Amino acid sequence: MRRIKKFAAWVLALTMIVSLVLTAAGCSQGADGGGDTGRIVIWHDKEDAVAEALEQELTRLVPDVEFVLEKKTSLTDSLKLSGNDPSASPDLFIFAHDKIGVFAEMGILAPVTDFVSEDALSSYLDMTIEAATYKDVVYELPIYFETLLFMYNRRYMQDDEVPSTTEELYAYMQENTGRGRYGFVEQHSTAYYSAAWIHGFGGSLISEEGEPLLDSDEVKEALAYHLKFVELMPGEAEYSTVNTLFIEGQADATIGGPWMVPSAREAGIDLGIAPMPAVDETGLPLSPYSGVQGVYVLKHAAENKTETVRRVMEALCNPSVGIALAEASGCAPANTVCYDDPAIAADEMVNAMRDTAQIATPMPNIPEMDVMWTVTGNLLSDVNLSGEDVDTAADAAQKQALDLIAAMQ
Amino acid sequence: MSLKREKRRDNPRQKRLPSNAKQRKTTFWSYLCSAPSLILIGLVVVFPILYTGYISLTNMNVYHWFDFDIIGLDNYERALFLVDSGFLSALLATILWTIVNMVIQLVVAFVLASLLNIESLRFRKVYKTLLMFPWAMPGYVSILLWKTGMFNSQFGLLNQWMEKLGLEAVRWLSSDVSAFICCTVVNLWLALPFMIMIMDGALQSIDKSYYESAILDGAGWLRRTVSITLPTIRPIIGPAVIITVFTTFKQFDVVYLLTQQAGAKTGSHFHTLITYTYENAFITNNYGYSSAISILIFVLLLVFSWKFHLEEKS
Repeated sequence: MRRIKKFAAWVLALTMIVSLVLTAAGCSQGADGGGDTGRIVIWHDKEDAVAEALEQELTRLVPDVEFVLEKKTSLTDSLKLSGNDPSASPDLFIFAHDKIGVFAEMGILAPVTDFVSEDALSSYLDMTIEAATYKDVVYELPIYFETLLFMYNRRYMQDDEVPSTTEELYAYMQENTGRGRYGFVEQHSTAYYSAAWIHGFGGSLISEEGEPLLDSDEVKEALAYHLKFVELMPGEAEYSTVNTLFIEGQADATIGGPWMVPSAREAGIDLGIAPMPAVDETGLPLSPYSGVQGVYVLKHAAENKTETVRRVMEALCNPSVGIALAEASGCAPANTVCYDDPAIAADEMVNAMRDTAQIATPMPNIPEMDVMWTVTGNLLSDVNLSGEDVDTAADAAQKQALDLIAAMQ
Repeated sequence: MSLKREKRRDNPRQKRLPSNAKQRKTTFWSYLCSAPSLILIGLVVVFPILYTGYISLTNMNVYHWFDFDIIGLDNYERALFLVDSGFLSALLATILWTIVNMVIQLVVAFVLASLLNIESLRFRKVYKTLLMFPWAMPGYVSILLWKTGMFNSQFGLLNQWMEKLGLEAVRWLSSDVSAFICCTVVNLWLALPFMIMIMDGALQSIDKSYYESAILDGAGWLRRTVSITLPTIRPIIGPAVIITVFTTFKQFDVVYLLTQQAGAKTGSHFHTLITYTYENAFITNNYGYSSAISILIFVLLLVFSWKFHLEEKS
């Protein structure tokens, strides 16, 4: 009996040692140890259709390179932890442009102009290159962009009823809201969505220098004006509620991203897409944020796999990549050459996004923006959901933003 | 073989005075067997705490990610500025939250476990399985299901019932008090299975003869509960209660996902200590500063733990 116990203890101890070793080994799966092995690891957080189309296109364009696309749900947090460690981090990653400042300041990014010529970037939409640039250095190769669109259900809102100004929208909402139905819904208390209204009043959440502008007159006016629209929308207006109301035909119109389109079409909605209404008071259209999705190169890959990375980045400049992604998932390509393709030229949604790109504002890519999402969200919640006074709430939010930005240093 | 054993047992010298070498061997063997577990605990528990302590003394942030320096106690000095009225109200709310949750959990778990131990109860195993069900579901999924399935003002079950009763729809998560109640309900749903299981085990361990004697002496249900059941199960459920107190105190996901999630805020200002510090420190990407706050919360919990332990001992 004693021997059996001793044996069992040994087995348990050995099992634990093996588990520890395996766990330690498992933690260090990233790009290769540093040498150029012709293998490129790309982290992303995109839907499967985008990742598959990209992988196929890259494999076709650079057949002798092995591509490993890994989906990471908390990509930015993982990158903050793995940093520039070649054994734990990828060679490239795909993400929106708003984190460029954070990663550039951390010192883990290599400029894409080390691999792609200025000429190759000249055919890209100005807005996308502007978004990809931080402190005069281009850190991201834009692939496609997303922005919010004014969408409506033709069954309830006729083409000639589509509002061209916010007052027309308000009048429509008053006429068509009630008894469980809504004339218009949007995520009214989310910073990403509300920014369109603030831009429509000529305001901004933060300056290019990183100074918060939440107590500016433009922001306060926009919040005060927006309140009457909020009163005609559901109190809870997070993504799932707004999406469901529109998909189930309980809301006539909405402001949403291209990601809503597949489910709307699947639900049999006769979807219309229109330009953003203009604010009567300023004459400026609601100007949503745009997010430019692109490829970043990590410094260790730039140094150790220079030639392979160069070939991959050059391949990514090929218009066929943007076309493949647009066909697979309705993404609006950043490269203007893609729009010459007949299939893309005929795609209503992609072209609507290209039109909106003319008025859209790229999300700020400075590190300070990281705290502004939360602070602005709190401000919107205080004004729209808790009924706090706009001036008081905006001043308090400005103070919180200044404190948090100071705490970043 | 048995004769040899008898001889060994009869040898008083060997029994009373084991050789030092043998004792050393036993000690060495015990440490050797425990070594993998100790290493694992060291890696998973001790190292992160020590490393957090080290980072809290540096200026590690977005602007000094790789080239950070030791800056002494500066981060702690700044962290103490966070102890403003918002921090103190979050601390008070957290204490209230912990007390309310623990009291309800203990009472409800005791009642349900007692009902499960009624001798004539049929389908006992079915009830036990059903009561364990919330434990089998991932917390994140449960919380979001409660948020959209029950509390959502448009599609939630509660408002569907309100509508059937001819009442106005209610935004359950919008005010501080109703959000507190909703968070408590969800937390109870998640935490009760554990407490019921512990209570059930504790109740089953009580010797039935105590109750038989008490009944013969004429003791009623209340007297039996107060004088036999509660004193007997107390040492068994003690550790579970301590664990649950700390889990409840440092609660983040229930409160954050129900009311404070980015892009889905509900208008409530109910914060626990951890959700408050998350919004006022952790989002800054300043790891030195955030680590200092984490260490302060850790010390706060240690003080509570020590105080609790002393009271438990007494």
